[in-house]
Amino acid sequence: MSAPLPGKLSPDGFAKALDAFRGAIGKQWVLDGEEDRQTYIDPYALGDGLNHDCSAIAAPASTDEVRAIVRLANEHKVPLWPVSRGKNLGYGGASPMERGNVILDLSRMNKVVEVDAKQAYCVIEPGVSFFDLYNHLADNKLPLWMSTPGNSWGSVLGNALDRGIGYTPYGDHCEQICGIEAVLPDGDLIRTGMGAMAKGAGWQHYKYGYGPGWDQMFFQSNLGVVTQAGLWLQPEPEMTAKVELAFPKFDDAEWAIDALADLRRRDVIQHNIVFGSPVRAASTQSQRADWYDGPGAIPDSACEKMIQKLGIGWWNAKINLFGHAATVKAQIELIRGIFEKRIGKELKFETWEQGDPPDKSARGIPSTLGLQSVNWYGGRGGHLSFAPVMPSDGKLILDYARKIKAYYEKVGQDYYASFTIGRRHVNNVSLILYNRDDPAMVDRVDKLYRHLVAEAAAQGFGEYRGHISYMGLIADTFDFNDHALRRLNDKVKACLDPNNIIAPGRNGIGVRA
Amino acid sequence: MTASRNPAATARMTGRIVFAAALGLLAAACSGKGGDAPAAKDGRMPQSQVVRFGAGSSSEGERLYGRECAFCHAGRNTGTIMLGRRMEPDKAELHKRTDLDADYVKTVARKGLVNMPPFSRVEVTDEELDKIAAWLADKGRAR
Repeated sequence: MSAPLPGKLSPDGFAKALDAFRGAIGKQWVLDGEEDRQTYIDPYALGDGLNHDCSAIAAPASTDEVRAIVRLANEHKVPLWPVSRGKNLGYGGASPMERGNVILDLSRMNKVVEVDAKQAYCVIEPGVSFFDLYNHLADNKLPLWMSTPGNSWGSVLGNALDRGIGYTPYGDHCEQICGIEAVLPDGDLIRTGMGAMAKGAGWQHYKYGYGPGWDQMFFQSNLGVVTQAGLWLQPEPEMTAKVELAFPKFDDAEWAIDALADLRRRDVIQHNIVFGSPVRAASTQSQRADWYDGPGAIPDSACEKMIQKLGIGWWNAKINLFGHAATVKAQIELIRGIFEKRIGKELKFETWEQGDPPDKSARGIPSTLGLQSVNWYGGRGGHLSFAPVMPSDGKLILDYARKIKAYYEKVGQDYYASFTIGRRHVNNVSLILYNRDDPAMVDRVDKLYRHLVAEAAAQGFGEYRGHISYMGLIADTFDFNDHALRRLNDKVKACLDPNNIIAPGRNGIGVRA
Repeated sequence: MTASRNPAATARMTGRIVFAAALGLLAAACSGKGGDAPAAKDGRMPQSQVVRFGAGSSSEGERLYGRECAFCHAGRNTGTIMLGRRMEPDKAELHKRTDLDADYVKTVARKGLVNMPPFSRVEVTDEELDKIAAWLADKGRAR
């Protein structure tokens, strides 16, 4: 299969552009062969993924090389799709939204530029993975902890810039970013916040700078290429405790979410809390066929089997506590008092104190165990994340969960729900698991996802993050004042990126006809 | 990670080796008393050790395996669970396999296999993959 061409380029024009890229960053780091392009196809693609095939890959090693590529891309009118490490699994991986973009792979920019142990922050490049950062902190015996997402294979900055989440007090990853360096679409270089000063001594200490804060401009956007950023880290606490709460009945969601959200709002629980269904728990340790091998959606009787055999509830929450020993011990008693009587079980906390093995702690240790869930149906699997943001109201969420579960069952896909409980919002991270080589299932999943987005939007719930195949669909749901947000985004995009060369169409911004 | 490609990363790697060697000594000192880190419930390596796999090795192949492969193929992780479903339990972790051929390893890494995604030549260069594959294959011959 021949490579697609980027934008409106002729084969000759594209060949000239690639030659120019090679001249800027070295021949070895510009790849356009079939085998190389294949390694960038989304491994979770719905179908073969060729509808999001790239035309080539350019992998710069420095900010200067990024600037050179961006300038050349303008000159040759080549749209670029920047990825930090290309592991945005469930959202399109490394693949561009628009077929034929050149992937700007920043994996080689993997330096931990600085770690300040006293002030508890680091400055890192986009190619630094969660494993890299964990090992850097361990190598240097730094008593700083990091938050990790379910899939830690990817980039720390890439995950934060797409507003990924983890489950420690630093789990709202975008909130931990303090100070961004970015290459603008015309090749100019900017530092945000206090980094806008040439000396910028407070760059990683204070987020806002002077005048408008532009940091959010680089999140879920296509208005620049982030080449490094500051990230706040958690000072190692004196003690942690962790416990899993199992709520036996589906209807327990109402009171349990209200109780957990109240503790979250008061910062007794300092992290966003996972609240997940049986298939969520079972999918990281078993396959569907272990429980049910019939057609249609998995029945409640199979979920009951999971509950019995795995010793879980219909809803399962993980709580982690961090702090000084006296505080953590008091919080344990508080939480036991709230939940033990209603659940009818003693809560057994696992505690960690400084010097204990790290696995006993509630710290984030990078892992890819969550990827196991794509083997649920067998075959080459994938997952699509449907994740609307909702107010954290127990009754609202129970009613919603009941309706969504019924629709999964009507369509014939297994209901997998996880409500991530924040201070005032709940993020309904529901994965839709599938076998990507089963065309009928792929069709069902597409239908299910489109329905869920529309259904959520009808109630005023919008997605927190989008898959490359549905970015326009989601952007359409942000429709206040006849899509005023889109008009603003497109005006800014046209102004900063007149050639539309940075990730055209990402998050519905700068979509080309 | 090649030394020539990224000096900063190489510096980190060197630090990692020193630290892991210290950990190894600590573990040795604790042997017979239960060790420093508890084994996971299923007897597999705890995740904090999986993340550090190979860091103390004198073999670059093993260190690269630790960095690029072990997070799925050691301990209780996605690769070991998936392989454990269709192979003997002692073959679920790649570093315990004695039947791996270097060309096979390279093909799987570049093409992917069922749910394993392929690795690009930016993420793992040909030179690095050669070293990983040789280490996995040589282990088998040594036994």
